[in-house]
Amino acid sequence: MAAATTHLLSPSAPLRSPSTKKPIRKPIPLIITARKLRAAVIGGGPAGASAAEALALGGIETYMIERSPSGAKPCGGAIPLCMLDEFSLPESLIDRRVTRMRIISPSNLSADFGTALLPGQHIPMLRREVLDSFLRSRAESHGVHLLPGLFTSLTPPSSPHDPYLIHYIASSDPNSLLGKPQTLAADVIIGADGANSRVAKSIDAGSYSYAIAFQERIRLPDAQMQHYADLAEMYIGEDVSPDFYAWVFPKCDHVAVGTGTVSSKQQIKKYQMGIRRRAKPKIEGGEVIKVEAHPIPEHPRPRRVVGRVALVGDAAGYVTKCSGEGIYFAAKSGRMCGEAVVRASEGGERMVSEEELKAGYLRRWDREYGVMFRFLDVLQRVFYGSNWGREALVELCGDEYVQKRTFESYLYKRMVMGDWMGDLRLGWRTFESLGRNMIVGRELQRLKNVLASLE
Amino acid sequence: MALFSSPFPSTLLPTLSNKPHLSLKPPTTPVLFPLIKKHHSLSLARSSDANGAGVVGVVEEKVQTKEAEKKVEESGEGLGSNGAAAAAAAVVEAPPKFKDPRWVGGTWDLTQFGKDGKTDWDAVIDAEARRRKWLEDTPEVSSTDEPVLFDTSVIPWWAWMKRYHLPEAELLNGRAAMVGFFMAYFVDSLTGVGLVDQMGNFFCKTLLFIAVVGVLVIRKNEDIETVKKLLEETTFYDKQWQATWKDDTPNDLSK
Repeated sequence: MAAATTHLLSPSAPLRSPSTKKPIRKPIPLIITARKLRAAVIGGGPAGASAAEALALGGIETYMIERSPSGAKPCGGAIPLCMLDEFSLPESLIDRRVTRMRIISPSNLSADFGTALLPGQHIPMLRREVLDSFLRSRAESHGVHLLPGLFTSLTPPSSPHDPYLIHYIASSDPNSLLGKPQTLAADVIIGADGANSRVAKSIDAGSYSYAIAFQERIRLPDAQMQHYADLAEMYIGEDVSPDFYAWVFPKCDHVAVGTGTVSSKQQIKKYQMGIRRRAKPKIEGGEVIKVEAHPIPEHPRPRRVVGRVALVGDAAGYVTKCSGEGIYFAAKSGRMCGEAVVRASEGGERMVSEEELKAGYLRRWDREYGVMFRFLDVLQRVFYGSNWGREALVELCGDEYVQKRTFESYLYKRMVMGDWMGDLRLGWRTFESLGRNMIVGRELQRLKNVLASLE
Repeated sequence: MALFSSPFPSTLLPTLSNKPHLSLKPPTTPVLFPLIKKHHSLSLARSSDANGAGVVGVVEEKVQTKEAEKKVEESGEGLGSNGAAAAAAAVVEAPPKFKDPRWVGGTWDLTQFGKDGKTDWDAVIDAEARRRKWLEDTPEVSSTDEPVLFDTSVIPWWAWMKRYHLPEAELLNGRAAMVGFFMAYFVDSLTGVGLVDQMGNFFCKTLLFIAVVGVLVIRKNEDIETVKKLLEETTFYDKQWQATWKDDTPNDLSK
């Protein structure tokens, strides 16, 4: 289906207008095409749907390739409050509103987050299939062409003015390989096909280290489900995860009990037993209705934009450390990338280049969220790395100021440099708490050594 | 001198934390315990020990525990402790919980730690360490009926200082003094500048400052490696984010 295009190439056009503020080193040839820019989005999850929507709203001919439009993804399902506003999500999508979060340390010290919440603030929990299909159908309503099918490979263009050729197998049944191989020509590709992105492989974007998240969905009897009506629990400890946390999250009519790890993936079953044991009386008598596992990227891929192909969402590796949050960043990055393409191509009139994509999307993204990602990485390293760090974390979480700041930054994705006195005091308390727990931790280690030496 | 040593080098230590109770597995498995995990039998012995223990020296208690464990191993079906055999059958369902007469209502009862009329904070720290070790070996179910309320901040700051900082400070100060004395002598013999004149020189003061900071950060030879690894770890994530900008070369228009 390679479209025949005629290009009028005006030689060495002058540099762009200064309003774009991008350091362009070479003049970019202005291409006036017989057809408008065509964009393809591979993957129809939150990232893909948001990217497609942004592209379509900008007047660009957009195609979205999604392999299983009715699939349910294994996912915690929690989104920050700001996503409801920013993406205009209706209240009907929300299954539960979590207003209490409990974090439990290895020694069962627990801290209840939730007292610092203002009325109306909560963490919305949704089912991924509900959210994904809503975003997809909204994108379609804006003019995106949805092509059910599985992306297989792409052929890079032979010149800067030629489109990419996307090869995919068109079929609406996700598990069937029987479909018609098709080809789509597109000038710009946005790869939003998740953690095991094929697009990323095709453009040699590099790989990342990833965590495995393993979860069991357990349907509980009503009385026990009541306990989790608006409560989500986070467990930390060596027995449930060596470098992450285990969780019990309420869903529509069941709870998701799971854990994750980066370093000890082979022992994930052991950690799952650990979390089952820790939450035992609360989940006893429930029946497991589903078992699922999924990789979670730990850091962005080395090359997120190659040529006129950009990666967004999980495919790019935008999952925060510490909380493992990815839905919001997927949708946001998809939208940001789509908007960058619209801007750079001036509504589809011009071809975009790799530099424009990098400047309009990547640089903007890194500037906006780089600090937040790095900060969460430090938090994860300090507080999830050892049992004494975890104890210190829970001790600190009991403080109201910490809870307030945590909610502010999680629900609204803002790191407000507000009350410096409070921050200073928080810094001091962190230092103190870490110190105390480290000393107890050393005592613990000494006891272990003594015991070990007695054999 | 900082109040506490930097917590960061120690984050590398947890990779060493293996559960020691696994290494104490009895070589021959008594027939009664095929369904019970090994550490349950060990923790039985420990619980019976903890119930009887008052303020006992650490080593003695561990030796007692060890002997109790040996008794468990050797006697097979019969257990030497108080009716623990009956408990053994019940243990298949639930592992024993942490019990200590001083652990009351989810926190340490400080009145039971009295020594000469004042609270023996050292013993509180010891007791908490032991409780955490117990919980590490046999993780307990968390329940809202018996919440844990103990917060380490209840122990005053000077108790921590005395316990932890002072011995180490003594060591470090001693080392620094020895090195300092020798360096002062060395500089004096080379340049003829006496100690008082050395202190007046800006360069010397800078060196002194570097020496003090160095001793704080690098206390043993291994610490040099630790600090290097720590720096690498800290900047690793940042490097991954910057990776995408490394390939910015002018010939990108070919794609």
